[in-house]
Amino acid sequence: MKKGTIFDLKEFAVYDGPGLRQTVFLKGCPLRCNWCHNPEGLRVEPQLMVSTPSCTGCGRCKEVCKHETCIACGECVAVCPLHLRRIAGQVMTSQELADLILENSDYYAKYGGGVTFSGGEPLLQAEFLLEVLSLLPGVHKAIETSGFTDEETFRRVVEQLDYVIMDIKLFDEELHRKYTGVSNSKILTNAKQLCAGDKPFVIRIPVIPGVNDNEENYRRTAEWIAGAKMLEQVELLPYHKTAGAKYTMVGEKYRPLFDTDQKVQILQNIFREYGIRSSVL
Amino acid sequence: MTDRIQAMRQFFITDRKHHAVRRPPADPMELARRFERENTPDYDRAAIRLCHMLEQEKPVLFEDERIAFTRTISTVPEIYTEEELTALKKEHWIHELGDVSNINVDYTKLLGCGFDAKREELRGYLREYEKQGDERAVHVLQTQISILDTVQNLADRYRQLALEQGNRVVAESLAQVPAKPPRSFLEALQMFRIIHFTMWCGRNYHNTVGRFDQYMLPYLKADLEKGIYDLDSALELLEEFFLTFNRDSDLYPGMQQGDNGQSIVLGGLNEDGTDSYNILSELCLKASLELKLIDPKINLRVHKNTPVETYVLGTQLTKQGLGFPQYSNDDVVIPGLLNLGYEKKDAYNYAVAACWEFIIPGVAMDVPNIEALSFTKAVENAVFEHLEDAESYDAFREIVRRNIFSQAADLCGSVRNLYVYPAPFLSLMMEGCAEKARDISLGCKYNNYGLHGTGIATAADSLAAIKKYVFEEQSVGKQEMIDALKGDFAGHDLLCNKLRYETPKMGNNVDYVDEIAAGLLADFADSVQGRTNDRGGIFRAGTGSAMYYIWHSKDMPATPDGRHKGEGIAANYSPSLFSRCKGPVSIIKSFSKPDLKRVINGGPLTLELHDTVFRTEDSIQKVALLVKSFMDLGGHQLQLNSVNRDTMLDAQKHPENYRNLIVRVWGWSGYFVELDREYQDHIIQRMELVV
Repeated sequence: MKKGTIFDLKEFAVYDGPGLRQTVFLKGCPLRCNWCHNPEGLRVEPQLMVSTPSCTGCGRCKEVCKHETCIACGECVAVCPLHLRRIAGQVMTSQELADLILENSDYYAKYGGGVTFSGGEPLLQAEFLLEVLSLLPGVHKAIETSGFTDEETFRRVVEQLDYVIMDIKLFDEELHRKYTGVSNSKILTNAKQLCAGDKPFVIRIPVIPGVNDNEENYRRTAEWIAGAKMLEQVELLPYHKTAGAKYTMVGEKYRPLFDTDQKVQILQNIFREYGIRSSVL
Repeated sequence: MTDRIQAMRQFFITDRKHHAVRRPPADPMELARRFERENTPDYDRAAIRLCHMLEQEKPVLFEDERIAFTRTISTVPEIYTEEELTALKKEHWIHELGDVSNINVDYTKLLGCGFDAKREELRGYLREYEKQGDERAVHVLQTQISILDTVQNLADRYRQLALEQGNRVVAESLAQVPAKPPRSFLEALQMFRIIHFTMWCGRNYHNTVGRFDQYMLPYLKADLEKGIYDLDSALELLEEFFLTFNRDSDLYPGMQQGDNGQSIVLGGLNEDGTDSYNILSELCLKASLELKLIDPKINLRVHKNTPVETYVLGTQLTKQGLGFPQYSNDDVVIPGLLNLGYEKKDAYNYAVAACWEFIIPGVAMDVPNIEALSFTKAVENAVFEHLEDAESYDAFREIVRRNIFSQAADLCGSVRNLYVYPAPFLSLMMEGCAEKARDISLGCKYNNYGLHGTGIATAADSLAAIKKYVFEEQSVGKQEMIDALKGDFAGHDLLCNKLRYETPKMGNNVDYVDEIAAGLLADFADSVQGRTNDRGGIFRAGTGSAMYYIWHSKDMPATPDGRHKGEGIAANYSPSLFSRCKGPVSIIKSFSKPDLKRVINGGPLTLELHDTVFRTEDSIQKVALLVKSFMDLGGHQLQLNSVNRDTMLDAQKHPENYRNLIVRVWGWSGYFVELDREYQDHIIQRMELVV
């Protein structure tokens, strides 16, 4: 039995696929998107999160701490009188996660939905994910992914799914490298795989001001996916300044390389030209 | 919304220009002193006050209006001096302000016949009672006739003014109503307005509107068939009518502005299993959606066959952030009311009183908010008095049950000898009152009293903590627990944390604690079963709290769920304020587990959803399904909030009350109170942009 790490299970996720759904967030991501809003999803290992605004500085957490650098042991979590600390990341077996999902899966199925795997990047734990998927017969299964994995892994996972939500964040490879830390070649290949396949899917673009909200990027993305039979629509997620909100909680600083005050440019007409439905979330 | 309605909304709601016609507040005791001096009987006091108000009223008409009657007098006089009231209170249970309130009159008893025919009917009874020499009855009927005359007189003065000002629409309506029954939707709305206006002038309050879409439908239907209105023009008229509820509402008594009980109930099962939801129900939802005003408050009756589209319309309304519609589930409420002894036709005809208490129009002089039982107090007393000696959890739990029974006995015993001020005008619209020349304040077909039940989550969470730590794990000593609570957890920080954050909490779909809650509610139902009040009615147990959630918590010592002394408890039927729930699905599952048919006085589960989940058509559909799922699981009543900017601002000031407040920040959801101030501010700013 494989083990994996999740950092949240969200009930009633309304933007993660058809019907009423629960979304599991798998921890760890190979990308480092400059606008990432889930910093606790980046590292695979469990880590401490601290909410600072209401901290009174009582010092109880320091009294119990026995480590020079945090090992996410959780000793300080129990002593905080305001419950401002928690460990993000829970290691569990695929059976444990499947059981957790199955607790409410009948409910979600009754209202046309199921479960969505998000992250982090769920495909980073592909073998674990595959095992979990195999334990969920009859449940409607979806993924929210960057598509950053090898072709074979992507194929094997998608085969087990009912619905795919995948990002094409930036079309230009160099810019993709600059803003996410990795090349997009695998991503684009996997997008083609989706376009040729038989699974209903959605392409998402996080619209980042001055980064990818230009006509060229929209157009090249549209061209790449145009004509795909199972493509339901393109969803545009305009950047919000609040993306950096959780960085202080994981002890990091949010350093966007773009002007966060700039307005994003939404050009839905380009998708219309290619016969692609689009909407803004 | 048409430009015309937009302009009227601006005039009455935004600019409140009609306030200029109001006369300055008067001495509220002037009449009472005279009554005291002259030793006026109570029935006459009520009648004289009402007629005094109506006679003092000066007609005013505003540009372009089709539905007249606006209050110009701010002060409704008292009928008792303070000394008299103190004396009355020694002998009687005086409920709130003393006046008849919170009941649903049957408006059709006047709408259906008009004042002239009603007067004739009353004269008929009068002659009978004269023959019998029943002076009291004769006096009652004569008084009611003279009240109708006085209302008619004000209507005539309004008509005169309309003629002078060239407002032909109002003049024509008032040539018909209220003397004769309305012939059109417009006349019916005008007549309703006159009746409702008169009720408020008599200081009757929480004057609920009831099943408006049922009793008004025939008028609308006839006009649509005749082609007088199409759906658009009917909607415009309805919106103008809805504005009238917001015109004088700041003058109505209530705990807060908006607490005025002007509730409308839409739809609902008929006895034959069909749904009464109709074109007018839909127009009401649309009018409310366009106007975005707090009155009238919309309630939707739903059941297992209610189409998702109805929930979707309701959800679009919720999106506005006004806190309604409130949903009630016929599949639970009707059987619940039948179990309480309501007749079948009455149970099917239920409406809501001011807030959420179920009440039957035209036949119930129930007082559904007469008192409140505190679940938390039942647990607290058991801990302090009996925990030390309790040999097992079951034995301890039995003491809690006994406490609930003794509280119920005390409450039921205390509400004796209820005295309600006479309400001669309202009596015209309640079953049997006119024929028997009996005032509604003395009772009607149903005379049941309702008890709220506060702090269910706090009590269940507390019992779960005691069961788990004191009896099962034995990790907390009995004395240790008692000492910690008595000292408000001073020196017991870790214990407090454990109780507060690690104990199973109601709202997480954990049977361990949810079964305890179900048991407590069953105890409450058992504790009032078989009890009768001195008006021959029964007691109804409920899940509401009204303001009692404040009164019952402010002096309450620390509780075993980790709640500090004086810390608040949840309002109505909701998770504890600091228990962090997994999400709305778990809350819905937890709160639908108890047998809610047995605690059906009323009191909704309140769910707060961030307004970003209302952003797209698709997501609105999903919220609608979420609401439906509560009903499918056997929930009784639900109120849903789209959380808005004001909530966020309050959450900044009182983060301790908003631990469950979830905000969708971008692609993720977080707890608002955990965000850095700048992000909180940002989200608040964003609220201003929400359409």
